[in-house]
Formats: sequence, structure tokens, C-alpha cells
Amino acid sequence: MRSSSLAKFAAIAAVGALALAACSNSTSDAKSSSSAAPAASSSSSSAAPAASSDAATSETSSAAGGASNSDTVYKIGFQGPLSGDNQQLGINESNGVELAVEQANASGDLGFTLELVKSDDVGLPDKSPAAAATLIQDTGVVGVVGPAFSGSTKAVGATYSAANLALISPSATNATLTTSGFTAFHRIVPTDAVESAGTAKWLAKTVKSVFIVDDLSDYGKGAADELEKGLKSAGIKTQREGVDAKTTDYSAIAQKVATSGDEALFYGGYDAQVSLFARALKSAGYKGVTVTGNGGKSSVFTEGAGDAGDGWYFSCGCLDATTAPAAKDFEAAYVKKYNQPSSTYSPEAYDAANAMISVIKDLAAKGEVTREDVMAGVKALDYKGITTQVKFTESGEVEAATINLYRQEKGVINLLGDMKDQ
Amino acid sequence: MLNLFSGLTRGSMYALIALGYTLVYGVLQLINFAHSEVFMSGAFASFIVVNALVGENQIPGWVVPLIFLAGLLSGGLAGASVAWGLERIAYRALRRRGAPKLAFLISAIGMSFLLSALAGKLFNRYTNNQFPDYFNKDAVVFTVFGAEIRLIQVIIIFGAIIMMVFLDRLVSGTKLGKSIRGVAEDAPTAALMGINIDKTISRTFVIGGALGGAAGFLYGTAFVFSNTMGFLPGVKAFAAAVLGGIGNIRGAMIGGLLLGIIEVLIPALPFIGTKWTDVVAFVVLVMVLVLRPTGILGEKLGRAA
Repeated sequence: MRSSSLAKFAAIAAVGALALAACSNSTSDAKSSSSAAPAASSSSSSAAPAASSDAATSETSSAAGGASNSDTVYKIGFQGPLSGDNQQLGINESNGVELAVEQANASGDLGFTLELVKSDDVGLPDKSPAAAATLIQDTGVVGVVGPAFSGSTKAVGATYSAANLALISPSATNATLTTSGFTAFHRIVPTDAVESAGTAKWLAKTVKSVFIVDDLSDYGKGAADELEKGLKSAGIKTQREGVDAKTTDYSAIAQKVATSGDEALFYGGYDAQVSLFARALKSAGYKGVTVTGNGGKSSVFTEGAGDAGDGWYFSCGCLDATTAPAAKDFEAAYVKKYNQPSSTYSPEAYDAANAMISVIKDLAAKGEVTREDVMAGVKALDYKGITTQVKFTESGEVEAATINLYRQEKGVINLLGDMKDQ
Repeated sequence: MLNLFSGLTRGSMYALIALGYTLVYGVLQLINFAHSEVFMSGAFASFIVVNALVGENQIPGWVVPLIFLAGLLSGGLAGASVAWGLERIAYRALRRRGAPKLAFLISAIGMSFLLSALAGKLFNRYTNNQFPDYFNKDAVVFTVFGAEIRLIQVIIIFGAIIMMVFLDRLVSGTKLGKSIRGVAEDAPTAALMGINIDKTISRTFVIGGALGGAAGFLYGTAFVFSNTMGFLPGVKAFAAAVLGGIGNIRGAMIGGLLLGIIEVLIPALPFIGTKWTDVVAFVVLVMVLVLRPTGILGEKLGRAA
């Protein structure tokens, strides 16, 4: 009883706070966004009635000033893991998107207010449809950054496509995503096929045999498959094992790797698991080269693996914003807002969001923004981001593709440079 | 050889958990499926204690065993209290009403979900929480035929053996053990002999819970822990209990150790592969149920112990 009345009170308070916020927004933005005032708020978002009614009251009260407008709100969705094992990658991304949205709103030349709707899919394919439905059913959402993970994307690519809701993923890298007929899907990072082919070439330069382990997920298995293909064609000896991503005891497989005598080990999977594997490998005394893909490169790995993570290599079609010169302003803003340096895929998510915002902005200047128009706009994008030139091929693949090589030393993941040059 | 030891490590943990299933089955003829969450609660409680003691500090060597002991005790204590609470809340009321066996099973599974979700809500939902590194778990203690045996394996195997021997003595040698065996053999008759059935059942839960909670601490120290960690080891320990003969304490120990070893040795064979590890346990479970439903040692708590 008590908690329900508390909830009611909280709800009323929240509505009140929203109304106040909307009110203050509509007056403070009045100057800047007066040009967009005629744009009808056809996107009937849930917040729209409250906002417009408040705008109406503020209009009457501030009629003397004569500078008021009905505040149009467009929403950008974000889908990725915000809880669970792989939440760090999702939080990195949602922070990047949030920063882009905040900066766009602060810039004052949008002509509308941008809102971010986050939808948590825990990084799991089975949770993904519900997360996607939240965004699709919110008619105010005109474009989505995400989904973050390949498995999640596979589960909902068709749904988003049917809803004509454009996706720009900062990190879903499974090669088949762009060949599955998902018209809505675009990504600004190179595929696992490209990445693993690069890793295979790089490994082939230095080692003669590679032990490949994957976590049986869409991402991990895909990355490992491509690597195996690349290594085989280069004449490198390989052997393969799959280990379920729920495993906590890696001692048996680590032992097998250690006794295999293979010169290198590749793990296809995500950070939380690869950190456990790294620990087990260290205690099994494995001395070979250890490599993982973009899914493993994060602070979760660094923390989880401890000093067992030192010496691990990471391939990633991503940019390390802490060192890249093009991302200096972004990094400064990020640190200011979140009190920590940006991490894997934050810059990519920032770029994806900004590219999406540029599309919405162009459309809003011409009139109404619909999902169909945003979709067409995304397909025609040519936007210079901090990580890459955001321009898509017919299938939704980014045109520019650089794979970087990273290595952890003394608990820090350092950028070594373009994989081709290593 | 090394695989054998890592099998023993797993196996002794399964055995500790299996004891909880088997004890309760012995006295109540019901499978306490919430026991896997008793195991989980031990890991979380001991983590809180160990983390409070260790934190970020550098720990001098002589304190390490004390911290370990504190972890073990707090794990056991948490397991015991959760098991005791489970019996009070989920089973006693049903027993008083003479509910059918199915009701107990549903109640157990419900409590299992509830506890796992509650722990997720209270603590976190990561699947790879780790204890602080307050000692070098991977220190090599001795080498057998070229296989390096690590400190953590030795601790787990010996810890489990000590606890199992203690339980075995408790059940076969003490008055409490006698009353547990009495209730297991024939509850109404035991009641006529002046044994308080409710108290005996409650104590059985506490003993099984303490072992399960301590196993949770050991498991968390060796690997990682989470709010969902109980499910798989729980089901496997159940398989181990069935393998040894459910309701039979020595059977649970043997079944646990055996299952752990089978689980590590079979996937290492060529053409099978590590991804089949979890399948092995369930194949064993099915084989036992088909070929020898009473398990290796048969199923009487009263006689075998």
C-alpha cells in the first residue's frame, strides 16, 4: 500500500517536473528555434501533449515578448546492453550518443529539441525484440543508433526494416548482417570478416600454428570462422574449440591450449569471458601470442584479467579517442561530462549519433521529419565524423575501413596503429 | 593427470552441494531445488565479509588463512540461515497441511527463482564477480607426474574432504545424526520414539545449507560468482546425488567426485571437445536413471551412513 502510494506521488512529481522542464525549455529556446516554429508536431510523442500545452500557457503569459513557439521534439533511439555482463560496451556507446544529443541541443541551431530514448537489450538476442519494440512503438523516434551487438541485431533487423526505422550501429560487426536483407541496417565499423582477415594476415607473419577458441555466439563464432579461413589460406596450422559463454571454469580448455604447443591463441567472444580465459591461460602457463577481437577490448577485460591481461593483442575497427588527434574535442567533452576517459566504441557511437542528427536537421529545415525520410537520408549520408567518413555502400557497409591493433601493457590498452603496418 | 586434479576440484564442490540435496531427500523424500540458491547465497555473503576484511589493502601472509576461514564460515553461516528460512517459509507450512509432493517441488522452484532474482536486485547481475586477490591462488604446491597442482585445488579438495568426513561422523556418530537417520528411516515411528520431527528436519536443512554455503565460497574463490551461478552446479550436484544414490551421504560424495572427473576427462578426448562439458553431466544423469535408478550405493540414508 505504502509503496504504491509512494509510486503515485513519484509519478505525479515526475510529470510535474517534466512539465516544468518543458516549460523552461520552450521559453529559453524560444529565440533560437523560432524559425522552426511552424513545423507541426506530427510526431505524437508521449511528452508532446504536456510540452505543447505548457508551451501554449507560456505563450499566453509571455505574449508580450512575442517570441514563443510550439517546441517540436524528435527522438533518437539507442539500443544496446545497459545491464548484464556486457553492459560496459553498451554504456560506452550510450554515453557517446548522449553527448552528441546534448551538444546538438546546446548548439542552439537545431530548430527542434532532440531527445534520446535508451532501450536496454542486455546484449542478448532473446531480449532484443522487446527492446526494439519499445523504440518502434514510440512514434517520436525517427532513427536509432544501435543495436550494439550482432546477435541482437540479427534478432530484430527485419523488424526495424519493416518499421522503416533507420539503424546506424557503432559496433555490430557480424559479416552476415548486411547480406540478410535488413534495409534499415547500417554500420560505421568494418565487419568481422574484414577484421579477422586482417588479424589472420598479421598472425601469419609471425606464427605457424594457431589455437582458435570461440564463445559460440553470433559475434564470436563469426569472427573465429573468418580467422580460420584466413589462416588456412595462408597455410597456417589451426585447431578449433568452442566454449559456452556461460562457462566460469576455463581451466580445462586453458590446459588444452597450453599443451597444444600452438604459437598463438585467438579467442572470439566478449570481454567478460575473455578476461576469465586470460586468467586461466596464465595459470596454465601458456606463453604464446594471445589475441582477441573488438568484443574483448574494454575496461572489463582489463579489470577482470588483472595482470593476466598484459600482453594480449586486440584487433578493432575502432578508434582509441584518448590518443587520436581528430577526437581531441570529443575526448575533452567526454571526460568533462562523465569524469572518465572514453572507451571502446564511444567515438563510433558519437559519430553514428551525429550523422543521424545531421540527417534529422536537414529534414527538419525542409519541413516534417518522417522515418521514411530519415531512412533515405541515412542511405545518402556523407558526413565527416571523428572516426571515419560516414558514407554507406548499397548494403549498409561503411566505405572506409581501417583495422587497428591494440595491446595491453601494465593494465593499459595501447594503440599500436593500423594492423596492415604491424 | 592434471585433468584428473581439476576434475577432483570440480567434483569435490559438486559433492558438497550434493550433500544438501541428499540430506533433505533423506529426511523428507523431496528434492530441494532451491538448494542451488543456498549455494549462491554463500558466495555473496562470504564475498561481503572477505571484501570488508581485505578491500584494497595489502594483506600480510599470516592473516590469509584467517580471512579464508572467515570467508568459509560466513559462507556456511549464510547458507545455513537461508536453508533454515527456506524450510520455514517454503516447506513447513506445506508439510503441516499434508500437501502433495508436487506442491513442494513447485514451492522449491519458486523459491529458487525468487532468491536468484533477489540477489540480482540486491547485489548485481554481472556473471563474473571475483573475490579480491588476497593470496596467490595459482601458486604451485607440488608436481605429480609433471602436472602442477595449484594451491586453490589443494584447498578445495582438502576442505571438501574435511567437511565430508565431519558430516559423515556427525550423521553416524552423534545423537543428532541418530535422529536424522531415524526420521529418514520412518518418520512416524521416530516421532513415537520421542524425536522431534520438525526440529530434526530444520537441523538437517541447516547442516546441508552450511555445506552448500561453504561450497559457494570455495566455488567463488576458485572461479567467479553471480546471482545465477547456482543453477548449473545445482543441477549437476543433483545429478551427482542421483549417481551416488540419492538419500545416501557417502553416495553423494562418491557421485560428486566421480561426476567432476568424468566431466573433465570426457570432453578432453579427441572428437568430443570442451563445448560438450555440460552435456556430459546430463548424459550421466540419464544413464544412471535408465541403468541403475538407485545409484551406485543405493538410496537409504538410514542404513548406509
